[in-house]
Amino acid sequence: MNKRKSIFRAIASCTLSAMMLISAGCGKSQNAGGPGGQGGQGGPPPKIAVITKQQLSFWDDVKKGAEDAGKELGAQILYTVATSDNDYVSQVAAIKEAIAADAKAIVIAPNSPTELNSAFDEAVAKGIKIVNINSKVNDYGKIDSFIRSSDIDSGAVAARNVAKILENKGADYEKLGKIAIIGHTASTAEERIEGFISVLTSYAAQKIKKPTVTETDPDKLREAEEAAEAEYNSKLEKFSKSFIQGDRVAERKKAEEESLRLLGEDGNGISIMFATNTNTTLGVCDAVSKLKLDDKIIVIGFNSDEEELSFIRKGTLDGTVVQNPYMMGYVGVRYAKRLIGGTSVTCDLDIGATFVNGSNMNDEYIQLLLYPDKF
Amino acid sequence: MAKGKSKFKNSGAYIAAAILVAVMYIVNAILVDRIYWNNSNVSQTTSRVMNSLNKINGQLSEINNDTIAIAANLKTDMEAITKDTEARYGNIIDAEHAFEATEGLSDEAMRRYNYAKNIINSYKQKLDAMGTSAVTSGNYQEMGYILKQDIYPMQVTASEMLTSTIDIVSADTGKIMRKNTIQSYLLMTMMLVVAILGEIAVWLFARKAKKARLELEEREKSLAEVDAKLKTTRQKASDLAVINVLTGMKNRYALDNDINDRLESGRFQIAVFDMDNFRSINDTYGYDFGDEYLAAVAEKLKEEFSEVAEIYNITGNEFCFVFNKNISESQAMGIAQNIQRVMSSPYEVLNLAVQLPCSGAVYHYLPGDCLNVNSLLVKLDTAMRNAKMNGGNMISTVMNI
Repeated sequence: MNKRKSIFRAIASCTLSAMMLISAGCGKSQNAGGPGGQGGQGGPPPKIAVITKQQLSFWDDVKKGAEDAGKELGAQILYTVATSDNDYVSQVAAIKEAIAADAKAIVIAPNSPTELNSAFDEAVAKGIKIVNINSKVNDYGKIDSFIRSSDIDSGAVAARNVAKILENKGADYEKLGKIAIIGHTASTAEERIEGFISVLTSYAAQKIKKPTVTETDPDKLREAEEAAEAEYNSKLEKFSKSFIQGDRVAERKKAEEESLRLLGEDGNGISIMFATNTNTTLGVCDAVSKLKLDDKIIVIGFNSDEEELSFIRKGTLDGTVVQNPYMMGYVGVRYAKRLIGGTSVTCDLDIGATFVNGSNMNDEYIQLLLYPDKF
Repeated sequence: MAKGKSKFKNSGAYIAAAILVAVMYIVNAILVDRIYWNNSNVSQTTSRVMNSLNKINGQLSEINNDTIAIAANLKTDMEAITKDTEARYGNIIDAEHAFEATEGLSDEAMRRYNYAKNIINSYKQKLDAMGTSAVTSGNYQEMGYILKQDIYPMQVTASEMLTSTIDIVSADTGKIMRKNTIQSYLLMTMMLVVAILGEIAVWLFARKAKKARLELEEREKSLAEVDAKLKTTRQKASDLAVINVLTGMKNRYALDNDINDRLESGRFQIAVFDMDNFRSINDTYGYDFGDEYLAAVAEKLKEEFSEVAEIYNITGNEFCFVFNKNISESQAMGIAQNIQRVMSSPYEVLNLAVQLPCSGAVYHYLPGDCLNVNSLLVKLDTAMRNAKMNGGNMISTVMNI
């Protein structure tokens, strides 16, 4: 009886020790097979606050990208949109809410380059990572990553495509007339305008010909060359003076009014109009359309609101610069997630800008930009 | 029978326990094996997918470097570059096929990958459709614009979407691994609980077995006691059959048993004695008194002669002496005289001194003298009766014929 009993006890203790061994084995194989990087984190998904500028289709696409990234990479998105592109007050409130909600990162397109700094300080003190998208905050060194489409380059995209249109039309840069610019109130407008003017001017510098010097007398040649140079410079000077800018506006209606003010009743000699965001683009289109100057004026805008696209189809809008807001939102959240996981990210990422017009708007790539849900 | 059955029952429990342990081991082994292979498969898939994605990204980067090199006028052999680009794009297509052949990827990973793939296709189309006029005309400003405005956005988007796909696959792998870890811990906990329960069961079983054994021992002990009692009772009963209750001496049946076998070949000295006219005692003092007197005589006889003879109380006051083997005929005669003296000496019974003479007969038995004990006793009784008829108080001898 006792012997049996001890055998049974031995079996039981063997079972127990075998369990322990197997347990150790499981843990080991688990570690051996585990992925590197941020894939291995457990627990509930971290909260990431995404704060954007205003209620526009551009920001809807940013939101869409952010939400897709949250869903795909495992993060809870707390989305807030400000009322207009100079409404930093609601953005400060959103940052404070994010801190209160224990968000681990904030992805923000700031409505002010400076007014958010103290709220950022509060967030950074709590260990919250900050990813700045779209337009940069000034004088703030604690931004973990900045993702944008370079606004100077975006302005350059607009200018290059204006130049292409002019080339197709066989237009003479000397007889171009006025180039009107309707900018929006946010800081991005200045850089876009700067890029647009400088690149279009450089095209003009190529296209405007120096007068040919026919002088054969070597004594008079230098004089003639100087005269030609002066004439060329004066033509460039004249060209650079052909840029006129309206007041900065935030709303579509104001942009239309400002455009009408510049255009007068017959266009006021304006041949090109450049608008720097969705609202100004729509306002300019409204005005041009109202005055029936669609064929006479080249209109270049920004962003890809459905109404802007319909203006392209109608022929009022000759093209628009698209910055891939979906990608901005997606990569913003992805970088935030990586930063939370302790992985380093690119500190300044330029995602580029693409020109969309009637002839390429059905291309696959452009369709991906315009309708990120389509793929 | 009952013991055997319980033994069988116990061994059945052990077999069941052994089977249970074996089943536990097998189930455990299967589950552990499943988790191990699952992890191993996930690792392999992840590594294959990562390789494909990294290859696509790397080749894309190479193509982009070439584009930059052209724009910066570092490379001018367009034919060689186009050839390189085609080869690299071929590698991208191969890697895409490898990725797409992988099963079990999440919808999220596929969605992001498809986005990246679309951009890469557009990128390639853009490269193919790119007018070489700017390149051939050496307009580097225009080439810079093409690079910056037409190619760069696609390249950066494709690259980001590819690395996002890597992140998603990583996260998916992490999720599966975590699920497996949870499963392992559950399994471990389950097995631990089973093992602990098993230990408790063994302990309870052992305790029960110990209790049963003690009960059995207790029962065996009481059985042995009952058995001993029974033996004593049986001995007593058996003794009663061969012992005279009054005198505590063996009776006639005992004598029959003891010497029957010796009649044919045995040689021994035997004698019988009884009181002369014992009846007068019973008549005078009553049977109780007579019994007391006989008991006293018997006690004295045992005291004096049990070392030399086996003494039987064969009837009321008649005693038979079977002398030990070493006693000779003449010694027997001497002892017989002593017996007569002892029996006929006075005894104090119930404060009364009583004395009766006695007669006896001695027989020097030779092998085959008698056929049975009865005829032996008849011979002795006849000899003793002759002595009594001759006045009693004497010892006669059975004459051998």
